[in-house]
Amino acid sequence: MSQERSSRIGDDLGLGLSMPGMGSADEHGRRHVHPITPIIHGVTSIPFAIAMAIVWGGGAFAALGLGALVATLLLILLIALVVAAWSYLGWRNLWFWFDDDGDFRVDSGILTRQQRRLQLSRLQAVDVAQPLFARLFSMAEVTIEVAGTGDSRVRLRYLTLAEARALRSEVLARAAGLSGETEEAPETAIIRVPGRDLAVSLLARSVTAGLLLVSALILGFTWWTQGWSGLGVTAVTGGVPILIVVTEFIRYFGFTVSESPDGLRLRFGLTKTQTRTVPPGRVQAIEFVEPLLWRRWGWVRVRLNIAGVGGADSGGRKEETLLVPVAPRDVAVALVQRLQPGLDIDALTWHSAPARSRRRAPIQFRRLAVAWNDQVLATRRGQVTRRLAILPHPRTQSVRVTQGPWERALHLASMHVDSTPGPVRVTALHLDAGFAREVADAQVERARHARDADTSTHWATPPSGE
Amino acid sequence: MVDRSEGAFTFAPGWTPVSPRLVTARRITLGLAYLLVAAAVVALFVIPDLPRWVAGVVAGVSVVIFVWLWWLIGRRVRSYGYAEREDDLLVTSGIMFRRLVIVPYGRMQLVDVQAGPIDRALGVTTVQLHTAAATTDAAIPGLLPQDAAELRDRLARRGEQRSAGL
Repeated sequence: MSQERSSRIGDDLGLGLSMPGMGSADEHGRRHVHPITPIIHGVTSIPFAIAMAIVWGGGAFAALGLGALVATLLLILLIALVVAAWSYLGWRNLWFWFDDDGDFRVDSGILTRQQRRLQLSRLQAVDVAQPLFARLFSMAEVTIEVAGTGDSRVRLRYLTLAEARALRSEVLARAAGLSGETEEAPETAIIRVPGRDLAVSLLARSVTAGLLLVSALILGFTWWTQGWSGLGVTAVTGGVPILIVVTEFIRYFGFTVSESPDGLRLRFGLTKTQTRTVPPGRVQAIEFVEPLLWRRWGWVRVRLNIAGVGGADSGGRKEETLLVPVAPRDVAVALVQRLQPGLDIDALTWHSAPARSRRRAPIQFRRLAVAWNDQVLATRRGQVTRRLAILPHPRTQSVRVTQGPWERALHLASMHVDSTPGPVRVTALHLDAGFAREVADAQVERARHARDADTSTHWATPPSGE
Repeated sequence: MVDRSEGAFTFAPGWTPVSPRLVTARRITLGLAYLLVAAAVVALFVIPDLPRWVAGVVAGVSVVIFVWLWWLIGRRVRSYGYAEREDDLLVTSGIMFRRLVIVPYGRMQLVDVQAGPIDRALGVTTVQLHTAAATTDAAIPGLLPQDAAELRDRLARRGEQRSAGL
């Protein structure tokens, strides 16, 4: 047990505490997460307990006096202790290791025991994150995601930051087909999004800017006619977008993209620092988004579909998986070229929707188009917010052609290429019906040839070995 | 028959329609649902304060909708079709909103075969294909159980031969 282990991480807090380290592995190479984990969980529960006490107790403390306050504090402390004790049981039963087949194994559970085996050949992403409380203790959590539907991820908490990074590079190295004893991949920063650009860009997104403008107009008008009563309405129309802007600002603050041999590495977050590695072979679809107001600065946002990431996360919330929240177009294009080497977006030949599509889509009809080359299929849509989606041929899941009644009257049809769940939709709207079907059939063929030739799943294997 | 010669949704030879028994199954379901509607309409007639003509109009409208849905079921079922090509499966359906899905065998992650109680009594089965994309919507309803089982096995076999990573 942990008592026999020597102190490896020493004194992170500077409090003169000496913590036993994660220690060496047992005889099967199995390891625990860091023993400080129960304490972090206990401490994390305190603010929640206080919040609950305030919600339930409310103003009663003033009336009940000191005794009630002390009793409440003791209760909160007790809750923290119970949480920590429960977490300790979880810690004792949590083991992780690499088995002889090269798979990542995790055994866990207190009452219900769970044994998970992650096939690293199907690895999608490894994230290292530092939630607020874990950061106070210099700890980090590691999330390993493999392809699959539903709950196909494992979250290990907590490890020291150094251990978390070492684990990440070991997982990535094994998944990329290298032996486990590789040094952590060195990285070089490519871009860092300035906080000012991020704030401006979030405010200038089409829907946000539109809602803020409408709110301002309503507020101005009602103030003109009847004083401040308009505030009630604008609290929703203006408050929600502002809340979203603030949330995203905190989430994507300090967004940095750097290059490392195992893929592009993204770091972001103000209160919770996240690190995500995007292996080039695992990107399913890419989209450039260009809201109206961003064009004067030449900015774009790049979104990705990565299998296993960006579906519903643990809280059931959809996560928008970004490559970069805002960047000048040429920088973004250069980034995408690292994921899809040799792709020249500006050299694509676009096949536009016919002029009669104007009657189906009066605003965006000029932008509607589809293009392809030997690597990717691309679709373009949207006039106010321009969208350009790119899907590498081997990532085609299935192809659909759809036609609504209005499209049918105009002899138009839309072509969709289905990708794994994520923010990107690859849709060529309102093409000539016969042409849509031709493109769909041709896309299935292109996908089949590309799949036969595809080697990108072992992206770090040296080219000489093939 | 539905016009199958139009542009994007061409039915080449080799397309298989689904069993007409699906029409019966769906009409039974419609009939059961309409029992509730009928009960509600009858209730309108016995409410004392409500003028008779209001209840009459409601009854008339529900009968018209019923006839329309009854007819629509026939057309919808005839619009279903699938074709097995060498490397992929094609599924088409829809009258108002038409669609055609092309699923490469190598992309299929699992094949579901399912039948509800009414379907089972009439001997129709649905085969549903899933890929890694949630938007792939490839369901073939109205297959005879024997055909459905054979189709599933064929698809699974071809999927295994051509299976690719993500």
